[in-house]
Amino acid sequence: MKHYNKLVRPYLIWSVLIILVPIIMIILYSFTTGGNALVNISFTLKNFTRIGEPIYLEVLKKSLILGLISVSICLVIGYILAYFITRFSDSVQDLLILLVTIPMWINTLLRTYAWISLLSDNGLINSFLGLFGLDAHTFMYTDFAVIIGLVSDILPFMVIPIHTSIRKIDPSLIEAAHDLGADKFMTFRKVILKMSIPGVINGVMMTFLLSISTFVIPKLLGGGQYMLVGNLIENQFISVGDWNFGSALSIILTLIILIGLTLMKRFDREEKEEAVDGAKK
Amino acid sequence: MAQRSNKQDRKYRKKNSKALYIIYIACIFVFFYLPIVVTMVFSFNSSKSLTRMTGFSFRWYERLINDGSIMKAVYVSLTIAIFATVISTVLGTITAISLSKNRKIVKDVVHNINNITIMSPDIVTAIGLMILFSSVMISKGYFTMLLSHIAFCTPYVITSVYPKVRQLDPSIADAAMDLGATPFEALTKVIIPMLKDGIYAGVLLAFTMSFDDFVISYFVTGNGVENISIIVYNMTKRTNPTINALSTIVILVIVILIICSRLMPHLIKTHAKKLLITGGILVIALAIFAGVRSGGRTLRVYNAGEYIDPEILAEFESEYNCKVVYETFDSNESMYTKLKSGAEYDILVPSDYMIERLIREEMLQPINWDNIPNAKGLNPDIMNLAYDPGNVYSVPYFVGTVGILYDTTVVDEEDLKEGWEVLRNPKYAGNVYMYDSERDSFMIALKACGYSMNTESTEEYQKAYEWLIDQRNTMDVVYAGDDVIDNMISGNKALAVVYSGDGAYIMCENENMDYIDPQQGTNEWCDGMVMTTNCNDEELAECFMNYMLEPDVASRNSIFVGYTSPVKAVADELAETEFEGISAYVPVFGGAKNEVFRYQELKLKQYIADLWTKVKAY
Repeated sequence: MKHYNKLVRPYLIWSVLIILVPIIMIILYSFTTGGNALVNISFTLKNFTRIGEPIYLEVLKKSLILGLISVSICLVIGYILAYFITRFSDSVQDLLILLVTIPMWINTLLRTYAWISLLSDNGLINSFLGLFGLDAHTFMYTDFAVIIGLVSDILPFMVIPIHTSIRKIDPSLIEAAHDLGADKFMTFRKVILKMSIPGVINGVMMTFLLSISTFVIPKLLGGGQYMLVGNLIENQFISVGDWNFGSALSIILTLIILIGLTLMKRFDREEKEEAVDGAKK
Repeated sequence: MAQRSNKQDRKYRKKNSKALYIIYIACIFVFFYLPIVVTMVFSFNSSKSLTRMTGFSFRWYERLINDGSIMKAVYVSLTIAIFATVISTVLGTITAISLSKNRKIVKDVVHNINNITIMSPDIVTAIGLMILFSSVMISKGYFTMLLSHIAFCTPYVITSVYPKVRQLDPSIADAAMDLGATPFEALTKVIIPMLKDGIYAGVLLAFTMSFDDFVISYFVTGNGVENISIIVYNMTKRTNPTINALSTIVILVIVILIICSRLMPHLIKTHAKKLLITGGILVIALAIFAGVRSGGRTLRVYNAGEYIDPEILAEFESEYNCKVVYETFDSNESMYTKLKSGAEYDILVPSDYMIERLIREEMLQPINWDNIPNAKGLNPDIMNLAYDPGNVYSVPYFVGTVGILYDTTVVDEEDLKEGWEVLRNPKYAGNVYMYDSERDSFMIALKACGYSMNTESTEEYQKAYEWLIDQRNTMDVVYAGDDVIDNMISGNKALAVVYSGDGAYIMCENENMDYIDPQQGTNEWCDGMVMTTNCNDEELAECFMNYMLEPDVASRNSIFVGYTSPVKAVADELAETEFEGISAYVPVFGGAKNEVFRYQELKLKQYIADLWTKVKAY
């Protein structure tokens, strides 16, 4: 196999050019002023201090909270779904998981559009409520609409890794737990939940990443005043034209994600170490 | 006996919990599939509504097939997905193979690069690529989109192939070579066939990722190249079931693809070669097809979304035996950003203040009015305005005002006497759409405070900012984009800030709506056709401008879009026929306090942009 070692070179060159250089350029932009011309650039920290203004901090906070809410909802709904799916026979499980994956393959924009016609004031959900004599609710342009849209978009990313990890659990472990006198709840807590942690962590990481950086869903379902950090970045690049501030925001967003992922990984490691320690004892 | 009943009990409970599982799973699946089903159902609607089914028809499918820009987008999405999949699969596979026995440092580098790409949010990857392409001056379009797609697909291919490579017996290649195979033969005949499963997963992943991508494509494209997602995003203005028809087809294709790949992996694997060859031929055929189509004269037009009757474009193409590359933008600002990042067009259709800016930045060239004989029909009231004295650079395309559209069944006529202040009247709290545009919102606030909308005083802007913040606090307003049109047609809220042309369109669809130009004055705007300095074919560009002013063409375009035609005879005639009784079609020009937007100095612009961001983020 060593014959092929050199074949890695094209990709190394490629990735430096098209993956690393852009990152360096974002960093460069974020620490400079001078706009898009790159002629009269000068070093500055202004772009980052601007993020410290209360209004932008509020945007960051809102994004973080909305992301955490969506992830938590996904975790609860997704875990139960994944667990229930594992209660079926193998072929049914395959089918169900296929059904969970199909929406993932379909364009987010298209599905978000459908939510608009479902949630709008004269939309299908309100017409449905009307059948029972219930008053129409305003769903569009609220947190509710954004969360619904977001959860339906990212839920599969939570379900699949959790399902995979639960499915991997050796059934004899569960039997053993039963034999040793654990009741259903205890078995679930001590065996299934514990052993599915890696899947949960994967799912949380994926959904957190997707929800915190989204800008299309809040823009379509939340309206123009629904400003999350993704929208703020898009605004800076597409309409305001302040690429320097936009770059600084992207770096902050990336940092938030990195911190989130590192925390999750640490949690994962501790969990594993604990398991190892437990085994040793 | 006791044991038996216990068993039965357990069985019963098991059955019971199964039922619970099924109900829960079904509920979640409804949540997943409801939007998809709704999309598909409404693609067969006989009317335009996306909320009420009025009958069954295929008319939106017909519209879809006849819509050149959508079909082009389908072509772009497909070919990009195919090319990106093929290239990233080859690149990813050889990289994965070469990694397995490489030095640890190389492995770490590649893995970290992969993690960066997979773990960094789309929007960050997108802006990185956007900055890269604009700073090395690569003209944005098909090529940049393809490069970007390869960039984000390859890491996924590597991660799906690499585990399979590690499972391989490393001596297998040596064995093949000992038996006389060349390294290349060992690679293609021994190793790659053994990696089939991983490669196959990579292909599927890369294809769908590329085909569905929006964020990255949106930032890196230009010059008329749009994929399906971008078309969908720009089509917000007048959502109609054509998009649903397109979605339905896309959904069906993807579902069929997935089901085929799941149900018949064996079939595909054994026929992989044949499939690959057919795929290759298809790609080449498509490429040739595209090459053939792009012969002859071309005109690159960059216009606002849903701002032309597409049939007119087709007629112009056949009349002048040329090809129109037609691309749309969603705001003047995004058009400007696109231009600055290197996109090139022959004709633009920006608004007044943007025309002034482009003139100042020497991005436009003068028009030879001798080549535009139809100019004599233009309404003199809208000529020679401050943004382009003497109309050296611009030919009016549509004109109008910004005003308030209101629901006559809800809004009290008396309240409307307050003009713009009605938008702060607590009676209508939660019942107001503002327009999601920085300039228009500040225009409203400035006018409401009694200032000029072209003020340069930051104190006045500060007052206007406070007006807007106060409005947000008390009124719970929604800053809607062009979705306001659909929403007002459905009568979702009582008051909305709209452009007169959109107002006319809404009034045609919903008779309860009426339109006023507030007495504190408003923005009189004029969108004009201009020719850029890098226009390739001035003669054809002027033919196009002249063609758009032809009475018959101008009339049809005005009916289709709903905006007021700059051709006086056409506007007068339509006001009495097609748009009879639609006050928004005849906006009041020349109101004492009305103004035209002017160019803003960069510093002021940034000041306002910052305020605006704060208003929206508040």
